Amino acid sequence: MNGWHGKLLRVDLTNQTTSVEDIDPKVCRDFIGGRGVAMYYISKEVDPLVDPLAPENKLVFATGPLTATPAPTGNRYMVVTKSPLTGALAHSNSGGEFPTWMKRTGFDLFIFEGRAKEPVYLFVNEDQVEVRSAAHVWGKDTHETTDMLKAETSDEARVACIGPAGENLALMASIMNDKHRAAARSGVGAVMGSKNLKAVVAMGNKNPDLHDPTAMRDLSVDTSKNVGADVKKGSNMRIYGTSYVPQVTNTLGIFPTYNFQQGTFEHTKNIDGDALKNQYLIRHTPCYRCPLSCGRLTEVPDGKYKGKGEGPEYETISSLGSGCGVSDLAALVKANYLCNEYGMDTIGTGMTIAAAMEMYEKGYIPEGVIGQPLKFGDHDAMIAMIKKMATREGFGDDLAQGSYRLCEKYGHPEIAVTTRKQEFPGYDPRGSQGMGLLYATSNKGASHMEGDVAYEEVFGVPVKENPLSTDGKAELVKHFEDSFALIDSSGLCVFVAIRYVFSKDRLIFPLRLSEMMNFTTGAGYTPEEIMKAAERVYNLERMFVLKAGSTEDALPHRMLHEPLPDGPARGKVVELDKMLPEFYQLRGWDEKGWPTKEKLEELGLTPNS
Amino acid sequence: MKINVKLIATYQNLLPVGTSGNTIEIEVPSGSTISQILSCFGVPQDDTSVIVLNGLTVDLNTPVSEGDTIAAFSAIAGG
Repeated sequence: MNGWHGKLLRVDLTNQTTSVEDIDPKVCRDFIGGRGVAMYYISKEVDPLVDPLAPENKLVFATGPLTATPAPTGNRYMVVTKSPLTGALAHSNSGGEFPTWMKRTGFDLFIFEGRAKEPVYLFVNEDQVEVRSAAHVWGKDTHETTDMLKAETSDEARVACIGPAGENLALMASIMNDKHRAAARSGVGAVMGSKNLKAVVAMGNKNPDLHDPTAMRDLSVDTSKNVGADVKKGSNMRIYGTSYVPQVTNTLGIFPTYNFQQGTFEHTKNIDGDALKNQYLIRHTPCYRCPLSCGRLTEVPDGKYKGKGEGPEYETISSLGSGCGVSDLAALVKANYLCNEYGMDTIGTGMTIAAAMEMYEKGYIPEGVIGQPLKFGDHDAMIAMIKKMATREGFGDDLAQGSYRLCEKYGHPEIAVTTRKQEFPGYDPRGSQGMGLLYATSNKGASHMEGDVAYEEVFGVPVKENPLSTDGKAELVKHFEDSFALIDSSGLCVFVAIRYVFSKDRLIFPLRLSEMMNFTTGAGYTPEEIMKAAERVYNLERMFVLKAGSTEDALPHRMLHEPLPDGPARGKVVELDKMLPEFYQLRGWDEKGWPTKEKLEELGLTPNS
Repeated sequence: MKINVKLIATYQNLLPVGTSGNTIEIEVPSGSTISQILSCFGVPQDDTSVIVLNGLTVDLNTPVSEGDTIAAFSAIAGG
């Protein structure tokens, strides 16, 4: 096989044994790779009703066929498992360097099953596969763990690991790789912690064979040139990373503020890209083989928030900044560093604290329970809560359950801004209607990474759509959900794929990606076939989520019944009823959102898939 | 009449030298359109820009009113 190695490594943590299996080439072709092939195995091997933190749940690390190829940004991996936060599906994506290093071990997938009796880590250097004790790094943060495991294995290795939050089963725990990059959402780090798996250390030299190396090189160079031309002209992503976005969303009135009680933040200029660039930026830090280079190394040089790391990105600025009403940039940067070190999703962390702040200010959670005041804008209190969440100390034990369970426990579920119990990212859907439909229907709960229609509604990429209109949004959301399933399965990064790989014409848009896949794998996909494969992946995920009991495509109270009080979208709620029936119809699902028998047959799936 | 022009991120470079922040207040003749005003700043008016009036998506030939804010930024992926 080309592109795909066609091999997976299965790790039985209970018995501390490993085995190598061939992956059926038809499975690779039908499910593309990465997220899709991982879902194939989850669907086949995991009971949708399993307790996500039980040994019977499985955790899959998956690279795509384009990972470790010359494709620009061909350097992503996915973590797929049943989510302890949502009770549905987790598929979290990350870049950095680890994904390429993992692929170079010669395996496309690592499947972890069972539970180790004591903390362990997996070391893989091609055929050298060892489950080793991690007793000495248990309790260490992600930076210390990474340094220690590289020191005892090889400086050439790359590390993905959990921090204290994952060990303590906090439901917003992430898996960090290369210290600063996160497979962040849906509690994947808690699943890893539940298995007593502290880290995965990968290295090797097994680059995948390419079907047509010359054509692949030429296409990759051409794509990189297009990125380079924009960078030369002055690319926001190169100069600011995603930190320029607060000015955009604040202008449109969809910048989540005070736990989505407002759509604009009066202190935006204190926490935007210019403030970050002028005060704390050191230099750009690209993921491996990325011509865009949106990552940024930053440092708060002195004061009580002194520290050094990467970011924050837009989503972090939105959740730990405006979401919590925090305008102190040094504190916000420090909070981001802490989340990375403890191994926590900044969106889930920030928005859970934001919900707690609203509950506190409204008198729904007494100060005695929290142990201190917790007002919006109190950055010291926010930082104190992050530490408590990771360690589950005191009120941190409530926070570690996420905002849905927190608000429900204290009698006010209407305060939680979640779908499928997962916190909203940084686009208020009352002012971006398509995002509302996306959050409601997303298989993994609220997430922009499920099919980020903000590209069109907010950023005008590849074409501009009116964010306040519901017209055409059902089709747009389906298109982006399937497109993201394709990108996540291929091993590319969405930032470059949406802008530089896809065509503006939706009828032929995946042409260049299908060419990349064909030059890499020789699979001979037509654009239509590869989109059908992506739709197959999405429907297989949908079946798992429904069977897990997460059957309601709903939005929280605030989005449907509390109009935005400010900004350009003032007076708006999400008009979900106008979009959802059309969306089901376009998807080939029945009126309750279940894929019809005909749709499953069309995709080569069955109700038992 | 007076209106505001807000040029976000890289587009700040199109504001007059010495402008503080990303927004400038300017005096324009009554009946001026978004397109006419942004032409003065050299803001691209094709699909490489996102342009809004008071945060809303409108036709670029829309005349502006006293106190309006035109905002523009480069259409490159974010999020």
